[in-house]
Amino acid sequence: MTEDVLCTFCGCLCDDLRVEVADGRVQKVRGACRLGASKIMGHDRIKTPMIREDGVLREATYDQACARAAQILLEAKRPVLYGWASTSCEADRKGILLAEEVGGVMDTTATVCHGPSILGIEEKGLAGATLGQVKNRADLIIFWGCNPAEAHPRHALRYSSNACGRFTPEGRSGRKVMVVDVRETRSAKNADKFLRLIPGTDYEVISAMRMILGGKADVVPETVAGLPKTQLVETVEIMKNARFGVIFFGLGMTHSRGRYKNVDNALSLVAELNAFTKFVVMAMRGHYNVAGIGQVMACASGYPMSVDYSRGAPYFNPGETTICDLLNRKEADAALVIAADPASNFPRSTVEALAEVPVIQIDPFENPTTLLADVVIPSAIAGVEAEGTAYRMDGMCLRLRKLVDSEFPSDEAILQRIIDNVRRLRA
Amino acid sequence: MKTIRLSLTTEETVPIEAERISPDQMAGLELDQIKCLEAWLGNRRITLDALFSIQVEGEAQGPESTTIVLEGDFSRVKRVGERMTAGSVIAKGNLGMHAGNNMIGGDIHIMGDAGDWLGREMRGGKIVVDGDAGNYVGAGYRGERCGMRGGDIVIAGSAGAFLGEHLCGGSIRVEGNCGDFPGAANQGGSIFIGGSTHLPGAEMVKGSIIVGGHAHMLPSFVRMEDVEMEGERFVKFSGDLVENGKGEILVAETV
Amino acid sequence: MIIRGGIVYDPANGIYGEEMDLFIEGGRIAEEAAGPELDASGLLVMPGGVDAHSHIAGTKVNTGRIMRPDDSRMGTEPRNPVCRPCTGYTVPNCYAIGYRYARMGYTTAFEAATPIINARHTHEELEEIPILDKGALTLFGSNWTVLECVRDKDLAKLAAYVAWGLRASRGYGVKIVNPGGGEAWGFGANVKGLYDTVPNFDVTPAEIIESLAKANEMLGLPHSIHLHFNNLGKPGNYTTAIETLDLLKGVQASRMRQVVHIAHMQFSAYGGTGWKDFESKGPAIADYFNRHSHATMDLGMVLFGPATTMTADGPLEYANSRLLHAKWANCDYELEDSSGVVPLVYGRKMPINAIQWAIGLELALMTKDPWKVIMTTDHPNGAPFVNYPEVIALLMSRPKREEEIATVHELVKSRTALPTLEREMDWTDIAVMTRAGPARILGLEDKGHLGKGADGDVAVYNLRPDEIDPSRDHALVKAALAKARYTIKGGTLVARDGEILSAPPGRTYWVDAGVAEADANRLMADLKDKFDRYYSIQISNYMVQDAYISHPNVIRAGLQVREGEDRSSHALAREA
Ligand code: SF4
Ligand SMILES: [Zn+2]
Repeated sequence: MTEDVLCTFCGCLCDDLRVEVADGRVQKVRGACRLGASKIMGHDRIKTPMIREDGVLREATYDQACARAAQILLEAKRPVLYGWASTSCEADRKGILLAEEVGGVMDTTATVCHGPSILGIEEKGLAGATLGQVKNRADLIIFWGCNPAEAHPRHALRYSSNACGRFTPEGRSGRKVMVVDVRETRSAKNADKFLRLIPGTDYEVISAMRMILGGKADVVPETVAGLPKTQLVETVEIMKNARFGVIFFGLGMTHSRGRYKNVDNALSLVAELNAFTKFVVMAMRGHYNVAGIGQVMACASGYPMSVDYSRGAPYFNPGETTICDLLNRKEADAALVIAADPASNFPRSTVEALAEVPVIQIDPFENPTTLLADVVIPSAIAGVEAEGTAYRMDGMCLRLRKLVDSEFPSDEAILQRIIDNVRRLRA
Repeated sequence: MKTIRLSLTTEETVPIEAERISPDQMAGLELDQIKCLEAWLGNRRITLDALFSIQVEGEAQGPESTTIVLEGDFSRVKRVGERMTAGSVIAKGNLGMHAGNNMIGGDIHIMGDAGDWLGREMRGGKIVVDGDAGNYVGAGYRGERCGMRGGDIVIAGSAGAFLGEHLCGGSIRVEGNCGDFPGAANQGGSIFIGGSTHLPGAEMVKGSIIVGGHAHMLPSFVRMEDVEMEGERFVKFSGDLVENGKGEILVAETV
Repeated sequence: MIIRGGIVYDPANGIYGEEMDLFIEGGRIAEEAAGPELDASGLLVMPGGVDAHSHIAGTKVNTGRIMRPDDSRMGTEPRNPVCRPCTGYTVPNCYAIGYRYARMGYTTAFEAATPIINARHTHEELEEIPILDKGALTLFGSNWTVLECVRDKDLAKLAAYVAWGLRASRGYGVKIVNPGGGEAWGFGANVKGLYDTVPNFDVTPAEIIESLAKANEMLGLPHSIHLHFNNLGKPGNYTTAIETLDLLKGVQASRMRQVVHIAHMQFSAYGGTGWKDFESKGPAIADYFNRHSHATMDLGMVLFGPATTMTADGPLEYANSRLLHAKWANCDYELEDSSGVVPLVYGRKMPINAIQWAIGLELALMTKDPWKVIMTTDHPNGAPFVNYPEVIALLMSRPKREEEIATVHELVKSRTALPTLEREMDWTDIAVMTRAGPARILGLEDKGHLGKGADGDVAVYNLRPDEIDPSRDHALVKAALAKARYTIKGGTLVARDGEILSAPPGRTYWVDAGVAEADANRLMADLKDKFDRYYSIQISNYMVQDAYISHPNVIRAGLQVREGEDRSSHALAREA
């Protein structure tokens, strides 16, 4: 039994799992939620490297696949290297080096989830705290446009609604939980208060709340985006009277009309609440290490995503250097996809554009992106078969454990081999 | 008077970054030198003549008497006219992203459509677009407090979202419709939108926005008296009060 | 390697501008050496620079980068065969930090504040900084375990926690920021003075500071406590500063060094009752330092232009952001501390900023003994570290100061003593304030000097001390210090005339202090309970692993040193 194992599925990055290993395989996962357990147990592995020839993927050696990958990247004038959220920071750092060497664009899955949150942070900064701070202190928890009951199953128990801590010994019964969303999700059903928004009206509602908070309720119309002002006044009162409040926000806020401006406005609301009480805010990050790739990229390039190295120096301009924009405008002429599945997660036209360029996939698992890949390189599962580093949604940096040996090389090792090939081909 | 004509000789879909296509960069150069100016095709450093056929007529004293004419579709060519101080650029067709970045003077005339970030952080001069413009017209760079600070942008068609974000001066005129959030965090520039828009002036503290069509207003603006302008009635708003702003928005019709 | 004919300033060894050859063998200063020769004839030679207080790695620094793409785009340099690409000015990327320090002749820099719980992040970034030797100071000023030990007056357990915390964070020393305030900020409050009670814990900042100072000396750590005062950044706070310094007069140092190092003194040398009558108390503070020997300080000099303030003083950053209507990032760490980041621009015509600028210079010029003062800008709080040559030029040249004073807000003339100060520092003063002093204050025995066995870290500048007059030629001084003729790190030539020639990885210093097994056991029982009930991560995932320090330099302290064994230290290791 290996104790204190990290779960490499969602941004909760639970680190209290117990995993039974026998015969070099994971036999049982204890303490994880269903999502986490199934990730760690594993499923359809890619068995060998493959290279597409005459339209069919054929088995190849690692040497051949890495050489072919290097060749594709070197020939490309605007390669994009995408994914990075479900692997280790060590692999991410190799990816950055590779992007530098081939003059590529380094982008992450954040661009299709919390990218707008990052843009909001660039406008306002973010008043945050670690999840343990929420657990020990928060008496008001607001989930805005997120549904942890489905997407982050252990969040409530470990960190938020139901967690018990030093100043919150009563757990759930000592707290108020509020959900703001466009539909009544499971999380909303478990909440003490549910504020239902008309889709795309987050910004206006937040502006109205800021007005009420600032003592200017008289200017606010009697209804705002279909919500009676009285209800907003009541909500703001609850926020002001909390001892420690927190807003967790999700894609419902970042991917509805208003996008990063919604986040921007919410960050201001939280900052202003601090004139009355303690209030913090956090993005509900999806992939277990999507926060980590942001940290690693910021450290290495100054920017947390969407960095264009084509001219040798980092250039950052989401909307221009984001993968979906690059593909939609047909700027990208090759792609390396690692630990991600754009074929399932991108809009259809974007996937079509991706299918038109050579694609290198590095992943332990087969997924729809494999179908359009030209080079497929199977890797060890980070956090199960390889050690490394990951960052939880609140920025806590933790070490992933290696539980079993693997016949597959790690993402980091594969990327190093591609880098070696790039250097060899260039010389 | 010196006229430099460029037309694209490639069909590449990889974008070209060519901030050297600017009167300041080209005024003093002979044809041969212009041909050797640096540009980037994706990650390849190349010279202009690898991508463009270039012709030069006449002589110029300086950028003031230099005109650059772009023939054909330049929608893949970025950063034309960056930091230009004088002279003109005429794009006969579309022009790509970042045209007139940090422009200080002179004029750019785009007869087709303009890409995103037209006149980003512009300080002076004039940009005219006969067609439509993309997102972030006259906006700033990520994280900066100031976008466009001076000059004029006129768009005959419509414009995308976040027009004039962090505007600190100058004026932007859009005859058609405009995407969401025009004039967000406006700190003193003026915007005219002939058509309609959504949530103008979010967090504006100064400056003005006129909307000739209809607009959905934020709940953080206070409605003032109606005003009449050139025979038309407008509803006047003041805000954005979330920032204790004193900006002014005139809207023909609120929805 | 042999460095020929330089004019050497090595004040730690009593060398004040002597022409001599230097030898480096096996990475260390030796009496003779083979290998390449560098011609330094007539040029200024000093030990490699040591920055004892700079914010170069960890969550705050990266938060600064993430919230400031506007800053990252400044200072962009493409990659080249030796260097990775660089970005940023106030918040440079990790590569720029290494190269830019090395260009100035600096070879060592210490990160000034890291919470134990996220020290792994700090080390991830330190590992990526090329060239420099480095270390990180660990935050102890608001940790629940500290507050409880102090409340229970259990110094032995406190010392055990400090030792454990240093090991858990692979930290180098005890940093205390706004003691008690970080905990109070967890509920949006602060402590307002030395004797204000920390909510829910029944202790005062005074008790926290005094106890940590004693624990620090019980462990005989190489560095003293490193203190960011309460009330930092507020008008009138110099009284808090002096009160706190007085508190520590009686603490016995365990080594030949101070018992407290004061971080960025400038930010705590303020008079006035508010911003309207804000004035310098630099002279009063300098006077205190002149009369006492238990404390040292670093300047935290403010220069005009952009900065990014970042500190574990969470409430201070909140106040800054409201005052300046600026972006605000905050991060509070469970059971440990708080932090914040706010970008700003210091304006020479802004009365407060101009006075702050003058205070930094007053502190340096009016404190008679340069061994008590380290030259810093509290990078990037007062200014980015690349501006050190500007500070040095100001310290060496009164005419330069006069030129500057003429351009800054006139209140500098009435609210500070700067215009009257005549002192012009010499190269010995500078070598002390940027090399020998910081190394001694940190307790780095092999740094900051050029004696036999010292690290082979040397800076050679394009300046002829025998020919130039820094008072008059201050522009020359500034230019030459910005680009060392040669920077040698551990015997490797890393930079020449501003060009990086090689970028070897540096080492990371951390302190492993032993404690009595009984104390360790008491502590571990308590910690186990805290992890079970309060922390959001497991204790086994908490400790920074060896993998994060690829080039360690472990300094031993505590019991094992005194008793010549390290059994007790292992007690901690085993438990963890
Ligand atoms: S909540 Fe997330 S991290 Fe925790 S076990 Fe479930 S999937 Fe894994
Ligand atoms: Zn500091």
